[in-house]
Amino acid sequence: MGKNENIRLGIYLCDCEGKLVQSIDLNKIKSAIQSSADFEYIRIADLLCGKMEKEKIAHEIEKYSLNRLLIAGCTDPFIERQFTVLAEENGINRYEVEFVDLIKSGKESTKWAVSIISEVLLQMQERSAIVYEDFNVLPEVLVIGCGKEGAAAALAVSEKQPVTVIDHDSPREGINLLNGKRNITVKTGVKVVGLEGFPGQFLVRFLDNGKHVKQSFGAIIVALEAQAVFDKVKYNGVQLGERVLRLSQFRQSDKDQYAGRKVAFVLGQADQDSLLSYAAALTEAIALREKGAEASILYDDMKVSADQLEQDYERARARGVNFLKYNGELQIVTTDVAATVRYREPFLPQSEPIRLVSDCLVLADDYQSNAATEELAAALEVRTGPGGFFQDDNVHFLPVMSNREGIYFVGGCHGPIHGIELNKEVEAVKAEVGRFASGKVRAPLLQPRVTAEQCAVCLTCYRCCPHHAIEIVHDQSLNNMYHSAAHMNALACRRCGTCAAECPGKAIQLPLFSDQEILQQVSKPPKLVAYACENSGALAAEYARSLDPRLQENLQIVSVPCSGKIDALYLLKALERGADGVLLLVCHKENCKYVWGNERADKRKEQVQRRLEEVGLEGDRVEIVHLAANQGNQFNASVRSMVERINQLGANPGKVIK
Amino acid sequence: MIIVDNKAVEDVLQMIAPYKKVLVAGCYGCVTVCLAGGEKEVGLLASQIRMARQKEGNPIEVLEQTVERQCDKEYLVKFQDNARDVEAIVSLACGIGIQYLAEVYEPVPVFPGVNTQFLGANRDVGKWEEFCMACGECVLDKTGGICPIARCSKSLLNGPCGGSQFGKCEVSKDIDCAWQLIYDRLKSLGQLDKMAEYIPAKNWHRDKGPRKLVKEELTLERD
Repeated sequence: MGKNENIRLGIYLCDCEGKLVQSIDLNKIKSAIQSSADFEYIRIADLLCGKMEKEKIAHEIEKYSLNRLLIAGCTDPFIERQFTVLAEENGINRYEVEFVDLIKSGKESTKWAVSIISEVLLQMQERSAIVYEDFNVLPEVLVIGCGKEGAAAALAVSEKQPVTVIDHDSPREGINLLNGKRNITVKTGVKVVGLEGFPGQFLVRFLDNGKHVKQSFGAIIVALEAQAVFDKVKYNGVQLGERVLRLSQFRQSDKDQYAGRKVAFVLGQADQDSLLSYAAALTEAIALREKGAEASILYDDMKVSADQLEQDYERARARGVNFLKYNGELQIVTTDVAATVRYREPFLPQSEPIRLVSDCLVLADDYQSNAATEELAAALEVRTGPGGFFQDDNVHFLPVMSNREGIYFVGGCHGPIHGIELNKEVEAVKAEVGRFASGKVRAPLLQPRVTAEQCAVCLTCYRCCPHHAIEIVHDQSLNNMYHSAAHMNALACRRCGTCAAECPGKAIQLPLFSDQEILQQVSKPPKLVAYACENSGALAAEYARSLDPRLQENLQIVSVPCSGKIDALYLLKALERGADGVLLLVCHKENCKYVWGNERADKRKEQVQRRLEEVGLEGDRVEIVHLAANQGNQFNASVRSMVERINQLGANPGKVIK
Repeated sequence: MIIVDNKAVEDVLQMIAPYKKVLVAGCYGCVTVCLAGGEKEVGLLASQIRMARQKEGNPIEVLEQTVERQCDKEYLVKFQDNARDVEAIVSLACGIGIQYLAEVYEPVPVFPGVNTQFLGANRDVGKWEEFCMACGECVLDKTGGICPIARCSKSLLNGPCGGSQFGKCEVSKDIDCAWQLIYDRLKSLGQLDKMAEYIPAKNWHRDKGPRKLVKEELTLERD
């Protein structure tokens, strides 16, 4: 194949601070490549991961319009990630960056390096360029919830984009902040009842004061605030009244009335995890001091593990707020004129309980998810997590991501603890929806492709997609009896490949990870094949190799974008073609970047074990390991134990050698 | 849709024991949709067969092919090259496709790779339910759109029976009582009076033998 005109390749050879000079002559490599390969730019660097290189490479990418990079030097997964991030920041897709490890034990030589670099260059030249397309998107953003959190999000986003804010049956505390603001439309008595379409072009169905209406938006921000609830059981059945208030009630009250009076806050009896109460009590106590009131905070453990809280605590102390630590249960006695708390001081366990008398006692609330959460989550087809709040309990979605592109969570809708981090979340969500501000989004066409002839329109992919990125399209040009086929939306798809692995017609192929590309890697497999998620297993493998390079000599590692891509057929094929065992290396539970790929992998492992046992082969020849990217030792331990297991089982009697 | 389930591979292996070269034939119709007989399943079964026979020291060659529908002879023609090249065929189509394939490619023996289960709906990935028994005399107008023939364990036309408890069937607590469902539906439709309507017994006696449907106005035959 001749030179592909669209490819503009940059080559970087790194000397790794002179570590390579002994065995490899980078200048010779450079001249060898210059005489044989097509590329736009080549440079030898002292230390590519060193100071100022990031800026320099960014400049070179722009100057030479590079769209593919080859980086040769001492590579490890963490360095690789650094460069893929750098590439993506400068408009180069991560799959257009290749690395060549020049430090492999016992192999270092200039000749070897030239041959391996040339091989990778050839592959890069032959691969067709990733095609990008500009998609029309709507800059309009819908904010659901007009409390203070919704208002904060709306104000930030409205700097660049038009925003519509609706109340969705929730309190309207933020509405005054929004009235009359440029780029902001506020609608009350409106709730979301349905959603169609994809990021950039969502069609939202509303119930607008009893009438069904529709409107399109580019992106949606959910900002329904957490609801403060009061559980009097946690305070031994105390009656609320003039002398005893909930913290959420107290926040609404006029502080002037407390001038010269005593107010005590009780923390630690209600929801143990909510920092909201701690933040609120500190703010209120400081405000009371400014009004000339006496303020005390009773706490068991003072929680300050969020932005500003530590400073607020210091400030409160400086302003003369009393901090009183207690241990165990509290007794609250109220009369018409005072509220008294009896508590035990933890450092004086033998002493009599201490009495704290105040004019007003303020008790912390619990926080629950907004009552509208379940219904709204169903309408938007987004997932909820612990405590019935929005968002999975999965670190990959923090701070504001949902399982769907174009739909984001801000504030208390996804857990009370986040309320304090609101500013960060607002910034994050502003950046996310900001992608739609210009009305165009450029995206690589790397989403799975469907061959209509093989698509039975069975809906399996549609149902298995964790991101709701699939629609069934109808067109006379689609060559099957339905003139219909599944179609993956380029802006909604996160490229996990779960759909391709689930398709019963083998109609779906994920670019760069097609069945052919994957099965080619196991055409003549060694004893052990490991299908590894590139977010965990494949990275752990790289790290593991540096710990024990020899262990991987009889191991073929096949990278997949997510373990949800590991087709049951891949496992059987590896064994049929000669492997004695197959490993699936997948992310930890509830830590799949694509929601449930690792759970699908668990099920496929079980399915394949059953299929092996059905034909008299040992199910134990297939094993799954849940691990993280940094668990190189765990990787090696798993490989060793699998090697031991297959040695015990003996050669795979089902292998079909042609 | 016709719902099928895969046969035990052991049974399939026994059927094809005498042969050295077989075709596994898939169908892109119902059996693909119910995840049991599409191209994917063809690949999985073929791989299992090869490994099983290899293990026995009796290797076998397995071809794989899937066509649009095995219940139409125009699509079955597509198998001709492979069908003539093998000693036997394992079909993953429903009972209809298997029979038609056997008819078209006689004398090549055709074996079932699936057990045809029922006519049903897909509730979710991997979950199917029987909805229809093709009785030929639909009563769904009288029963709020819920079929008592297919969904009542006893196919009662005038239920429920005494075995209905808390909305469940006495046959299994996993089975909803169809007549409870019918009652609830009619109630929500405001048609409870239909519960009192007697539905006469069907003539299950198939005095005309296996059913055929011929619409003269549509056939290509000339007078």
